[in-house]
Order: sequence, then C-alpha cells, then structure tokens
Amino acid sequence: MTSLDVTPDSARRPFSGRRARFGDLILQGAAALAALYALVLVGLIVWKVIDGARLSISTFGLSFVWSTTWDPVKEVFGAGTFLYGTAVTSFGALILATPIALGIALFLTELAPRGIRGPVTALVETLAAIPSVVIGLWGIFVLGPVLRDHVNPALHSVLGFIPLFGPPGTYASNMFTAIIVLTIMILPIIASISRELFLSVPTELKEGALGLGTTRWEMIRGVVFPYSRGGVAAAVILGFGRAIGEAIAVAQVIGAFTGINISLFHPASTLGANIALNAQGASSGLETSSLIYCALILLVFSIIVNLLAQWIVRRTARRQGLAQ
Amino acid sequence: MPRNGKLFRIALALAAAGVVASLAVITAGAASAKSSSGTVSGAGSTFVAPLVTKWMSPVQSQLGIQLNYNAIGSGGGVSAITNKQADFGASDAPLSQFNPTCTSCVQIPWALAGTAVIYNLGASLQHLNMTGSVLAQIYMGKITKWDAPAIEKLNKGRSLPSKSITVVHRSDSSGTSYNFTDYLSHVSGAWKSGPGTGTAVAWPAGEGEKGSSGVSGAVRTTSGAIGYVDVDYAIVNHLQIMKMKNRAGKYVLPRAQGIKAAAALDTHPSKDGSLSIVDPPKSKKYRNAYPICTYTYVDVQKSSGANADNIKKLLNWAVTKGQSYGPPIVFEPLPKSVVTFDKKQIKKIHS
Repeated sequence: MTSLDVTPDSARRPFSGRRARFGDLILQGAAALAALYALVLVGLIVWKVIDGARLSISTFGLSFVWSTTWDPVKEVFGAGTFLYGTAVTSFGALILATPIALGIALFLTELAPRGIRGPVTALVETLAAIPSVVIGLWGIFVLGPVLRDHVNPALHSVLGFIPLFGPPGTYASNMFTAIIVLTIMILPIIASISRELFLSVPTELKEGALGLGTTRWEMIRGVVFPYSRGGVAAAVILGFGRAIGEAIAVAQVIGAFTGINISLFHPASTLGANIALNAQGASSGLETSSLIYCALILLVFSIIVNLLAQWIVRRTARRQGLAQ
Repeated sequence: MPRNGKLFRIALALAAAGVVASLAVITAGAASAKSSSGTVSGAGSTFVAPLVTKWMSPVQSQLGIQLNYNAIGSGGGVSAITNKQADFGASDAPLSQFNPTCTSCVQIPWALAGTAVIYNLGASLQHLNMTGSVLAQIYMGKITKWDAPAIEKLNKGRSLPSKSITVVHRSDSSGTSYNFTDYLSHVSGAWKSGPGTGTAVAWPAGEGEKGSSGVSGAVRTTSGAIGYVDVDYAIVNHLQIMKMKNRAGKYVLPRAQGIKAAAALDTHPSKDGSLSIVDPPKSKKYRNAYPICTYTYVDVQKSSGANADNIKKLLNWAVTKGQSYGPPIVFEPLPKSVVTFDKKQIKKIHS
C-alpha cells in the first residue's frame, strides 16, 4: 500500500467491520464481476483465435508467417505479403504523422494565441471521431485519384531514385493512398496525447528557461521535449498500434494485391484488410483457419506494441521520479 | 445527494419501462409471426440478393410465407446451411467448390444472370469488341496498353489510345468473380493452370476493390480502366460495356437476349445440380449467346424438419412464378429443362 491509499481497511472488507454493509457488499460483488468479465473476455478471445487457427498452424506451420502465397483456389496460404504491407503502411503513416502531430501539439500548447487554442483542439479531436469507413470512402473517391494524378508523379520525379517511389502507376488504390489515410487516422491520437503531455510540463521550468534568455525553440528543445519524451514515445507507439490494426479504411484504398512490389504506388494488402475482405466469403475451412492465423499474428503484434508503450511510460515515470 | 437519489429513481423507472416495452415488442412480434403461416430464412450470395429481395412481398401475399434473407456472401451461405443455421443457403459457386461442403444438401439452380465487362475510355469508344483470350491476357498482366495489336485487331477502324490498361477486380470473394474466372478458365489454358476458378483467386495483376460499387467506382475514376460487374449494375450506372465474342464468332452485348440464348442448353444440370454455361459451344443455336453467364444456386438440407413444406412451397414458387420478377434487374427466366430438373430436386426435400 502506498501512502496515497487512504481507504481504511474496515471499509475495504465489509465483513471485518462492526456492521457488514449490504450496499457495499453488492458494490464490491458487481465491480469484481465487471473486472472478471473483462478478464474472461480477453482470455476467451485469445483461446478462440488460437483454436480457430489450429488447422492452418498444423498445415503450414511457422513458415505461414513469411510465405508470400495466398491462393484460395489451390488452398495454399501464407501471411508474408500482408505482413510486409502492414509494416510498410504503418511505418509510413508513423513517419508522416509524428512530426505533424508534434507540430500541432506544440502550436496548441506553446505558440497559438489563446483565443484559437480551444477551437483548434476541438477540431483535432473531431478528426479522431470520424468513422474509418467514412475516411475510406473519401479515400476511394477523392484522395486516391488526386494522389494518383497530381502527387505521385511529382514524388516520382523528385524521389524516383529511391525504389520506394517507383513509376506512378494508374492505380488509385495503392500503398501510398493507404499510408495517407492511416496518417489522417493516427494524427489526432498522437497530437492529443502529446498536447496533454506538453501541458503537464511545469510552468516554472519553462519560465526559468525563458528567464535564462533562451529562445522559444531552445526552451521547447531543452525543457518541453526532454520532460515529455517518454510519454510522447508511448503516444507514437499507440498510434502505431492503431495503424497496424486498422482494417476497413485500408481495405477500401489499398487495392488488395497479394504479392510484394517495392513501389509505394502499387496495390498491396495488409493483415487487417485481408481479414476484413475475405472472412465472409472464405470457401474452405483451411482458408477460414488461415484468416484466423492472420488474426493471431495481428493480435500478438498489438499486444507487443501495447506492452512496449506501457513499459516506456513506466520507465520514464520512474526516471523522472528519481530526478525530482 | 437527494438530487442524485431522485435521478437514480428516474433512471430506474426508465429502465423498468424499457424492459416492459421490449417484452411487449417481443410478445407482439411472436403474435404477428403466428398470424402468417410460416417463416423461411436464408443466407448467402449478395449477387442474387436483389432478386430475393424482390420476392419478399409477393411471397408474403401469395404464399403467406415470410421470407427473410441475409446477404452475407456465398461462403457464409454454404456454411450456414451446412451447420443448419438457416432454411436455405444461396451460393454462386456450386457446392463442390467448398470444403467442407454440405453433403446432405440438394443443390438447385434458381436464377440466371450475366457478368458485364466494363471499361472507361471516353464516349467515342462505345461497345468495343473483346475476346476471352485477350481478356485473359489483360487480366494476367500480359497486355498492358489499349493500342496493343491484339486489341486493335478486334476493333479495326477505331482509334484506340496509347493508354495503360488499369485492371480492376473484386477484392472480396464474390459470385461475379466466380463467373468471370470460370469463363477465363474456359477460354485460356494459362488462366486455368494459373489463378483458376473461384469466388476469390490469386489475381496476377491489377487492383482489387470491394463490391460492385468499389469496382465500378475505380473504373469510373480511372481513364483506361477495365473491370467486371453484374449486368444490372453496369446498365443502371451507365458504364461502358464490352461486346464479347462467342464461339460462333459473333460479338454480343450482355442483354436479355444474349443471356437467354446462352441458357438454351441441350445439356441438363449434372447429377449434383451444378451447371456451368460459360463460353457455350460453337453451334447455330448459341449464335446470339453472351459467353459470360451463370446459374446461381440455392442449397437446402434434404431433411429440413418441420419447415420442409414451407421451404418446398417457396422454392417451387421461386423457380416458376418468381422468375417473372427477374428481367427488370437482368435475371433471365430459367429455361424449361432446368425448371423440370429443379422440381425433381425440390421433391427430394422432406421433413
């Protein structure tokens, strides 16, 4: 028990008190049941996913993870291309979203005039509330064609020496469109968490730095960033987790190509998109099982990402605790 | 605290009212269900869903049966009927394509439709000519330009642009894909030994889009794109449609006449009920046949329990009177030989 815990023991355990309070007993039972429910739910999901993937695991083994064939007709399945697509699109989105999100957070906490902070903050949060299927639709009809006709050729002519920016094809649905859609979706997550973190930097530190004659940028670099480094890293990782798991919007704009093409302007597919597109129409038990195997891989990745974020936050909190 | 208590009481009253209301709805629902003579519930193909939806109100008024249909896709339909979670499953691919499949089911071809090849090349290039083998090469990524000699040869006198062909296919599994790949497998050895026939295949080229809406959306926004959707969808959305060459050497549009001609088969459905009519043989009879047509199936458990009579009533209606609801949405009526076969199949259903 830490010193913060002020609940007396008698109130904690109704039976040990002079009077067992009936209401408390019910409250305790209901709360415990709710907690148990969450625990059982997670356990059941994990168990069902492993159970459902069993057929595919025993057929293809671990090589499923890197095998690049997905052929429903010949019943040969592998998640390699989807893993590649997932990695490229989510890293791409992360690289684009992080600087923009930090820029938004800095603007809202340090630089913007007070009057516009509220409205802009609300707008950024609204971005997070747009359903992914709506962003996906917009991606199909507006974003995809615009990127293909105007942005991709320009990127190719400037950065064409990098294989990633290959010839801009005629496909509006491709990895790059998916990256932009994901960027839009994870931007508000990283931005709003970072904003909270920047707000929590003690004013004395900031004013102290400014008092020493630093510029605003030097203050941000020397005080705000180091103080919130761990939290921001965790925010970025949470955004990454969102990008890995997003299925619907990506399925709408990535072009569902099962194969690896190094150019970003070529259709591809991801773990989540593949599950979303094929779960309903799977024509064999083995295909269904392989889709669940994909889900298992996704689940493992999401858990790792979440644990990593929690670990970073805890480590930073401990270090800051020691420093103060 | 008193205010909270009041709030709590109001919430409690509301919750109680909710429970009472929902109970009332449930009992009312049960009462109304009793008033009709029965309910038949099915699940499966999205391809046939528009037709089944059109059937719902006449089935209610003529047979007194409430028809429920859940368009969850062919694979879902087959697994629903295999596990006896529905009265019937609807599938665009024959049962033999599924694994595990329903071995205790009868398979009944109950609707007939075609798949249109659509493209986007500007209004002056309406109704281009196309053959199966060239189409297969386009979908294999072997022919990539509209002015390729193979395409120009089919369209003499029309100036084709030197534009890249953007291949669009379905990204989800679908009966339209089954029909389309079945056709390509019939006309191209390379396609048959490569991607093959299925509701979803390993597409060697192109971009995948979800649903007919996704495919037509991509074709519409991409100059030089080619795709395929069910005929009704292509017509309603005013998409450019290819004339396909049949084996008799004629270029045919996917119109009612062409689909009917393709269905005028001498052959009967195979013993398990499956029936493929893509690429009809070279004979005078099929001179006007459109080559990418398909039957879509309804699958029913032979022992269907207490609801067997209602199911049989519904199916007998569907393959006869029900067919007249098809033409406005380009489902052509079943030919007589198939109706006769279907009636025999329906007799196999018992309680």
